[in-house]
Amino acid sequence: MLNTLLSPVVLFFALGALAALLRSPMSVPQSFAKGLAIYLMMAIGLKGGVEMSQTALSGQVLAVFGAAIILSFGLPLIAYAALRKTSGLSKVDAAATAGHYGSISIVTFVAAIEALRIAGLPSSGYLVAIAAIMETPAIITALWLAMRGRSKSSDEPALDRGELGREILLNASVVVLIGGLVIGMIAGKDGYENLAPFFTAPFQGILCLFMLDMGLNAGRGLRRGWKSLGVAPLAFGIYMPLIGAIIAAGIGTLLSLPPADVALLMVLCASASYIAVPAAMRLALPESDPSVYLTLSLGVTFPFNIAIGIPLYIACASWIAGAVA
Amino acid sequence: MRDEMQENKLEGLHAKFRLELILESPALRRAEDILEEAGVSGWTVIPAKSGFDGRQRWSRGTDISAATDMIVLICVGDADIIPPVLPKLHSLLKRHIGVLNIMPVQVLRNAEF
Repeated sequence: MLNTLLSPVVLFFALGALAALLRSPMSVPQSFAKGLAIYLMMAIGLKGGVEMSQTALSGQVLAVFGAAIILSFGLPLIAYAALRKTSGLSKVDAAATAGHYGSISIVTFVAAIEALRIAGLPSSGYLVAIAAIMETPAIITALWLAMRGRSKSSDEPALDRGELGREILLNASVVVLIGGLVIGMIAGKDGYENLAPFFTAPFQGILCLFMLDMGLNAGRGLRRGWKSLGVAPLAFGIYMPLIGAIIAAGIGTLLSLPPADVALLMVLCASASYIAVPAAMRLALPESDPSVYLTLSLGVTFPFNIAIGIPLYIACASWIAGAVA
Repeated sequence: MRDEMQENKLEGLHAKFRLELILESPALRRAEDILEEAGVSGWTVIPAKSGFDGRQRWSRGTDISAATDMIVLICVGDADIIPPVLPKLHSLLKRHIGVLNIMPVQVLRNAEF
């Protein structure tokens, strides 16, 4: 656990967060940061695809896919109920925030893969596809929660389903992840060997750069947003990941997944989106307050998962595997 | 020169309206649809770097969805084009984050607008 906490990835994240909290003017150029994000998603998509090209699609894998879709649809229901009961957030803000907690944070996922590598626990490549498919169902649940029983005002424009569909299904993370996965499956191990110098050796260094930027974003988000949020929503940003992780641990154990895969499923269910869902919410629920869900997902849950959650989930998954065996 | 322009006396210039819309990036397409439907002949979009929204300061983010980015849309057109789009843009701004202003301006090449 200490190894993970003291890894350069986590330390660079902490550096960025600290710099932001101390109001450092430092920033990572926007286009550069976006390029880093695309690189990381391409890299894990490709690696996942190469691994998938070497393994047969088993009933267990299909069961994980099914469970992941159900989890992404279902977790926002729990999050919504918790927020409505405890936080005093409006129906729309609670629904929009709940959607973030059913979807996933791909950066948390990447950091978890790196932590598992440090711990010597190899994970299965198909979990990249699981990450990609868990991006979307939560958005549908969030919209359903927000629209339920709501009367439409006369000047409210009709929802452009095409525009929203494009945002949900063709957002950058889904396109790059799924695209990378398919290309990796087609290229296979031989095709990937030519790309390895670009996607394997520099991966950790680029992840450190990206985590520095994420630390800056998380620190600034928290600094700007914490005053406007009460204790209950901030607490939600800590306990909701734990609820998601516990449910995922149960399902992963029931499906007899190896400990690394259980840990990654826990990470996926514990993480909150900050790419796909905010964009979809700005289109479909623009009346929701972005400072609520971005502060929670990026300023509270993301740092919690990076610093405490990931090592905790890996330790729990390893303990469960030991106990079951 | 400014006085001459204000009094519309500068030779060769043509009176128009300039619309400036500062808007959250995800709603840009909706604003562009409104302008296109109204027959606006052209517009330019530039990224907004940072600002203050009355409650807190904001700055351009680095996430690839650009969900929290703000843009500035500028267009210039005739009096029979720009004012009629205002009700629809007002409706858009009731739901999305943004502000709008219009001002009288003068342009050199009338045919461009």
